[in-house]
Amino acid sequence: MKMKDLPEEDWFVNGHTACPGCGGATVVKIAMKVFGPDTITYFPANCLLVFGGTYPLNSFKVPYLHVLFENSAICAAGISRALKRLGKTDTSVVAFAGDGGTADIGIQALSGAAERNEDIIYVCYDNEAYMNTGIQRSGATPFGAWTTTTPVGSVEAGKGEYKKDIPRIMMAHDAPYVATATLGFIPDLLKKLEKAKNKKGCFRYLQIYAPCPPGWRMDASLGAKISKMVVDTGLWTLYEFEDGKMTINKKPKMTPVEEYTKLQGRFRHLTKENLAALQKYAEDKWRKDQALAEAYS
Amino acid sequence: MYEVRFHGRGGQGAVMAAQALADAAFVEGNYAVAFPWFGAERRGAPVLAFTRVDENKINIKTRVYNPDYIVVLDEKLMDFVNVAEGLSPDGMAILNSPLDPEEVDLGMSVKTATVDATTVALEVLGAPITNSAILGAFASATGLVSIDSVKQGILDIFGPRIGDKLAEKNARAAAAAHDRIKIGKCKAERTYPEAKKWLPTYQEMPLSLATKPTKTDSGLVGPGSSVENKTGSWRTFTPKYDEEACTNCLMCWFYCPDAAIKRLEPPKKVGFDMDYCKGCGICEEVCPADAIEMVR
Amino acid sequence: MAERRIVTGNYAAAYGALLSRVEVIAAYPITPQTFIVEHVSEFVNDGKLDAEYMPVESEHSAMSACVAATATGVRSYTATSSQGLALMHEVLYVAAGLHLPIVMPVVNRTIAAPIGIWCEHNDTMAERDSGWLQCFCENNQEVLDMVVQAYKVAENTKVLLPVMVNLDAFILSHTVEPVEFPDQKDVDEFLPRYDPKHAYLRPKDPMVVGSFASPEYIQEFRYQTEESTQNAKEVIRQVNDEFAEKFGRDYGGAVEEYRMDDAEVALITLGTVSATTRDVVDELRDEGKSVGLVKMRWFRPYPTEIIRDIASRVKALGVYDRAMSFGTGGPSYMDTKSALYGHSTIPVLGFLAGLGGRDVMVKDIRLMFERTLEAAKKDRVEKEVTWIGTRGVQP
Repeated sequence: MKMKDLPEEDWFVNGHTACPGCGGATVVKIAMKVFGPDTITYFPANCLLVFGGTYPLNSFKVPYLHVLFENSAICAAGISRALKRLGKTDTSVVAFAGDGGTADIGIQALSGAAERNEDIIYVCYDNEAYMNTGIQRSGATPFGAWTTTTPVGSVEAGKGEYKKDIPRIMMAHDAPYVATATLGFIPDLLKKLEKAKNKKGCFRYLQIYAPCPPGWRMDASLGAKISKMVVDTGLWTLYEFEDGKMTINKKPKMTPVEEYTKLQGRFRHLTKENLAALQKYAEDKWRKDQALAEAYS
Repeated sequence: MYEVRFHGRGGQGAVMAAQALADAAFVEGNYAVAFPWFGAERRGAPVLAFTRVDENKINIKTRVYNPDYIVVLDEKLMDFVNVAEGLSPDGMAILNSPLDPEEVDLGMSVKTATVDATTVALEVLGAPITNSAILGAFASATGLVSIDSVKQGILDIFGPRIGDKLAEKNARAAAAAHDRIKIGKCKAERTYPEAKKWLPTYQEMPLSLATKPTKTDSGLVGPGSSVENKTGSWRTFTPKYDEEACTNCLMCWFYCPDAAIKRLEPPKKVGFDMDYCKGCGICEEVCPADAIEMVR
Repeated sequence: MAERRIVTGNYAAAYGALLSRVEVIAAYPITPQTFIVEHVSEFVNDGKLDAEYMPVESEHSAMSACVAATATGVRSYTATSSQGLALMHEVLYVAAGLHLPIVMPVVNRTIAAPIGIWCEHNDTMAERDSGWLQCFCENNQEVLDMVVQAYKVAENTKVLLPVMVNLDAFILSHTVEPVEFPDQKDVDEFLPRYDPKHAYLRPKDPMVVGSFASPEYIQEFRYQTEESTQNAKEVIRQVNDEFAEKFGRDYGGAVEEYRMDDAEVALITLGTVSATTRDVVDELRDEGKSVGLVKMRWFRPYPTEIIRDIASRVKALGVYDRAMSFGTGGPSYMDTKSALYGHSTIPVLGFLAGLGGRDVMVKDIRLMFERTLEAAKKDRVEKEVTWIGTRGVQP
């Protein structure tokens, strides 16, 4: 599907109360254009629940369920099993969870659903921290980033650990479809959303980079630009893992990570040593992802 | 006791201002409380904060419904929020506005102080953040706290959040605004439409809130109903569109988080729905033809 | 014709699901509930029960799956015990809040610490404010019958609340006794397919289920749950009577009274202690003592009006609890006193025994009656809560 072929109609409509420039809102808007009206959505306790589903208003024109925070994958699976009973297996069941709800508190249910190969699409919109509660560190927060729980203090500054690699964990489950995407590469993103939609009857995992201007201390207009840069630096590899075969979709230019970090206030405090460490992380990640693609070729 | 209601937008620091005022009153030996009211909105959406001050201990724990003073950090709010709602007729409005009090219309005539806090903030802080300057205006307009106490309140409350250096700058912004207020009485010409909210009885309310698209007296509820919420009022910058320059590449349409850009029938290209545009500027940023410019 | 077999309480609980034609089952094993999930998986794998079986990764997920499946519009089932129920805690509130008529057998087991696997009611009692309805069973026949009845109560449009069917660990779960199995055809007539009108997920008829709600809505939402809970009292009676008519077993509704005609005092019991108490009542009656049994079958909704009526006919009440609300007394005792305050001045005594799975002996129950008779005679409460069989504690 080309961008021009996306429908004009939205199933995630306007009037939502996301912050200006919200990457998560854009990801969901585009994903819903691809998934279309025959979709049931699930939301954990996240920004999306608040900005898209505060009673009595709701931004989704499709059926919408919220239960709790850590159970997105199992709730989506519960819907999907019920639909199977009702003979409605064409309907897509999609969970939209953030990185905290996925990498940290939700990983048990996610792992279980992947292992049982539940018939769901799980979209992790990754804004690299707990944004709904006001920018706290998650397992998916990158090295060095300021958050309100990794404050820039006189002894420690920013997150000391590296980003948890959830797509790799999903690959370790031999999930039928795992893909990473960003808003910066439109044809690649649309292809992956479409594949996730059309590959019925199995577990599908998408991790989509979702810029958060307030959380990243970034200008609200930079979401698209930063979504390209993160791939160019090697901090985010675009790939697909499909039926056991891994394909890298874009070779990074390996532009210095500093080009990327300097646009975001969350990295403002980074020292030369910090930047060197993050640079090394990007290079290591690219090396490891290539090796994985080779192993799963 | 006096009660103050602050009107701002998410991210403008109304809560910090309310707390700094409480701190200033506390420094002068009063009992003071300050608290926010958080709705579901995010950055840019209208928010409220409250301060209560008394010589004696304050026990009341409700929000403030009939304030003695209102403080408005963002003049655009007055276009669509009835900021004077419930304001005591003997009370006072302290507004961030370059206008004279007589030029401002709050829908009720009341003692009003205006200050161009945005200009003060740009001069002193280099950024249009008005939560400190407006406190200087509050001190001089009401005489309830001294400017020295307000400066102390800013240092105490802002310091731990944004650093002592920036807090000191903010204290200077308050002092600068202190001497630049204009006092008068505002106009009462406009009427604000009554805020509509669907408040069903428990019998009318869908069981467990499981709701289908439903038309109520107060508008649509349920799936797809957020279109009722016109988020265009959050906007500070507005896209200016040059249709001639537009190549109709649809990048702006794709990236708009608020689906405020629509594809139009040829030969027209795209149109902007200002009811929903929050002014993030992503359309200008992604436009390869420079056909969009964000303007104030 | 209904067949009779000797089976465990766990088998009865599982067979109740089969007879109820549950459509989605989410299961996670925990002692002493494990046989329930084993039996239902056998039913599914043997083709006796046509259902989606989800062997999930935790009880939290088991209840989440039931919530999502029921919200989609099908009948769902799970079972748990003790720590598993505690792990479900936050999901239980969602099930009740969203008015999803899930039925769940809970094999009542002590909650850690210290870890134990035997009977105590402190697992289910911790959830008494969750919005779930709770019934307690005395024998395996009742377990089977109550699973079927529970769906009928839960799915009644005046109720639409989930139900826990409580059975005592090991005392029922692992004990075989004769049970009559109703015909599927009769159960199908009694319990039609679940066809929700209030909450479902269908793309052609979209609905929002589960919203972020401001203070403007939540109080009315809570009132809806209160009203449904009150409505359940009448529905429980109707379903009991309909069941009795169809299957010939009348449990008396929310409360069963045993030898309560002209009884001077009564003991209120929950769970299997009710059975032993029947014998004790018979013995004491033979000895010329005027005692009776009040078997509380439904603890939520609390049968306030029935308890008030009983109190008006006796001179003192004893209340037996298998759980403690520390600093006060057993939950059933506290609720009894609360129901009677302002309506009755008779002495009400609380008794604790059998915690952690210790047997509740005939002599223990006799002591409860003796104390209650004494209080009736003196028309005075000398000791509010008596711990029976606790080393170092004078009962």
